[in-house]
Amino acid sequence: MDKINQSAPKVAIFKSTEKRDDIWSVLLVEVGTSQDRSAFAQLFEHYAPLLKSFAQASRQDGWFPGLAEDLVQEVMIKVWQKAGGYNPQKASATTWIYTVARNCRIDMLRRKCNTQHLPLENEDFWHEPDEATPVSLLRQKRTEEHVKLSLEQLPQEQDEILRKVYLEGKSHTEASQELDLPLGTVKSRVRLGLHKLQILVAPEFKKELVND
Amino acid sequence: MTKFLNHHPSSEMLVEFSAGTLDTATSICVSAHLHFCKCCRNEVARLNEIGAQLMYEAQPEAIIDNGLFDKVMAQIDQPQPAVENSREKTDISGFPTHVNKLLNDAQNTPVWKRLSSSMEVAKLFTGQSKFEVALHKICAGGVTPKHDHRGLEYTVVLKGSFSDEKSVYTQGDFIIREPGDVHQPMGAKNGECICLSAREAPIKLKSILGLILNPWLRVNPS
Repeated sequence: MDKINQSAPKVAIFKSTEKRDDIWSVLLVEVGTSQDRSAFAQLFEHYAPLLKSFAQASRQDGWFPGLAEDLVQEVMIKVWQKAGGYNPQKASATTWIYTVARNCRIDMLRRKCNTQHLPLENEDFWHEPDEATPVSLLRQKRTEEHVKLSLEQLPQEQDEILRKVYLEGKSHTEASQELDLPLGTVKSRVRLGLHKLQILVAPEFKKELVND
Repeated sequence: MTKFLNHHPSSEMLVEFSAGTLDTATSICVSAHLHFCKCCRNEVARLNEIGAQLMYEAQPEAIIDNGLFDKVMAQIDQPQPAVENSREKTDISGFPTHVNKLLNDAQNTPVWKRLSSSMEVAKLFTGQSKFEVALHKICAGGVTPKHDHRGLEYTVVLKGSFSDEKSVYTQGDFIIREPGDVHQPMGAKNGECICLSAREAPIKLKSILGLILNPWLRVNPS
């Protein structure tokens, strides 16, 4: 890690109400706009251990521990290559890097389990978040903060299932088999969790929200 | 463009999509719906925050080998392989990018086949073995045979609209059919309708012809 620049992270330069000002998002923008290697080194130092933990948490069929560092490499290379497309108005660096990691993890598994030609990568299913407005940026930041605060307060049984789904990579059906619970119970715990995190939109409201 | 969609994937499906645990064929359909539905796109963006936060809080923090950073830097400095772009592409305007990518797959070019006077089908190669994924084209005002379903079926309207006994489905709508759901889709009179579908098992025709044909109907996931 001798190449990593140990200087203090750059100070946030944006007003918090207008733009994303966490240092990681600022650094990611610098990588994207000027291929700044010292910014990339700081991102690597911060995110590589998190990405490795994420990879080690996987309990998907076909996944084995030896893949963890491969995933870190693959994700960080993608971060370097794709940083130019990162827009801090639309997502925090952490959320953006999570989506890259999730896509890489699925693609690595598919390649391991398939010898045939695969026409699509998981990235192809991914949609860029919509153009940010001051209102939507504020709303997005509120969701981030709310998820951060409320995740800690989720009842253990809801937290357990969300971790199984997001970290271990288990479907609802697999989670129900492993926890020896009816599928309906798993689904309702997920649903309760999402309500607590204020993420869910009831179907009857979808019609109005399309229009906002 | 403001769109009013009435038929969305369930929140459970969006959770699995955002966590990456949804199978390929279903993801293809959910992603096609997201192309048209801002509301579900926003919901997926919020759901991604769960994954991001759980990843961010991961404990215990893993140890990274000293050499890994250098390995990454060495690869970054490698020249990028040129993307081959020789083949002529025939993107259908307004279609989701990933559907166009399947339509332009050089190794498995889809072919439109006529099923009846009012309907054509083009199977898509998706590299999975659970669902048969295909595009169905119903001509303006075309009537399709009344049928039941022998397994799950997801449909997303990509162009035009169709209706059945229950509702009218327009561009972007996401429709789930299960065994026991009998319907007879009809294309809208004002133009052809193209749908993306993923089918786990063959349909079951309800007409007298079905007595002969049903045992021979198959799906070929690919």
